Amino acid sequence: MAQGRTPSQTIGPFFHEALRWKDGGRVTFAEAGQAIVLAGRVLDGAGAPVTDAMVETWQLSPLGRTPAAASGDAKPHGFGRVETGPDGRFRIETAMPGGELPCIDVAFFARGLLKPLRTRVYLAPLEKVRADPVLKALSASERVKTLVAEPTAAGEYRWDVRLQGEGETVFFAA
Amino acid sequence: MNDMTRPDTLDPPYLYPGYGSTLLRAPREPLLQIPAGTLDVPGPSVPRGFARDGENDLTRHGKSAPLGEKMILTGRLLDADGRPVRRSLVEIWQANASGRYAHPGDRHDAPLDPNFSGIGRTFTDDEGRYRFVTVKPGAYPWKNHAFAWRPQHIHFSLLGNAPVQRLITQMYFPGDPLLAIDPVYNSVPDEAARTRMVAALALESGIEGIAMGYTFDIVLGGARATPLGI
Ligand SMILES: [Fe+2]
Repeated sequence: MAQGRTPSQTIGPFFHEALRWKDGGRVTFAEAGQAIVLAGRVLDGAGAPVTDAMVETWQLSPLGRTPAAASGDAKPHGFGRVETGPDGRFRIETAMPGGELPCIDVAFFARGLLKPLRTRVYLAPLEKVRADPVLKALSASERVKTLVAEPTAAGEYRWDVRLQGEGETVFFAA
Repeated sequence: MNDMTRPDTLDPPYLYPGYGSTLLRAPREPLLQIPAGTLDVPGPSVPRGFARDGENDLTRHGKSAPLGEKMILTGRLLDADGRPVRRSLVEIWQANASGRYAHPGDRHDAPLDPNFSGIGRTFTDDEGRYRFVTVKPGAYPWKNHAFAWRPQHIHFSLLGNAPVQRLITQMYFPGDPLLAIDPVYNSVPDEAARTRMVAALALESGIEGIAMGYTFDIVLGGARATPLGI
């Protein structure tokens, strides 16, 4: 029997301890892979840091597979969950996702977001990202680059997120 | 083109001026329409051992019982086809009976309860059922507008079985006069959908002489993501 869905509501400002997982920012996999870091800052429409967001990530394993189920009392493989800090920064230690076009699905939850903002960050050069059929509606746009993380130090990728305004990150209708 | 053109429009909009915090956090650009099914992939699988026995009883996390009206909160986690979402993680958080969160950011001048953290988690069973033992949270003031008070509520986080089922919501209480003027609750455009966030009083699912009973079923999206046979 079809049922009406329960609507989304904001996570509010008081979620931290309830949703904080031990090592939530260290993503594990059943397979070994190339260690990388995804780090950045979340800014609002005034350019101020968003200091109370939760960031969740989900990605393919280093071999390009759906991450295998974890066991015991472990957190799930392939899944990251972190908070932004007082400067709006977040940091996820993970492994390079497998597949042709490595990318990580990301959801943002925060006070002032009545439903999550979803998007995808690519760990690949802009020209390759532009060709992704998922971004077809956007392929000629300058805005594609808001979804491309910039390699910095060895294994570190920098990705800043603007919720609103100049340089606004592309978010998905989902 | 915006998200209201999608078939599923029951969630609140990003920009809802009555809720001031949306003003600088709602995107202004149209959302990108991506090919159907792009995000409809299998999701994280949380091992059952991730929640320990007893984490669903918020009245036993201190040295003695917390203050407040004790309540048994039960319900089912379902997909949009009415099938149970089994063995799935449910995380909750709430204010204490005085309307204060055990959170460093909560400046409301109401007492903390040393016997109440307001945090619980559990897994649904094979029928999609969950159960929490807790106390009824108090209403609390917030700075959204003059004399603003949030209705009593419990925050819920559900992972479901797939990213398309991921849901964070709030459960409200029947007959709360604050619901009519709460912008967060009223940001959901459809009245029937709003009502689905309100628990039902079900005294017989409580404990005779000890705890009131409330029931709250949660329906997730993405029916086709629910694995069959697990
Ligand atoms: Fe709250």
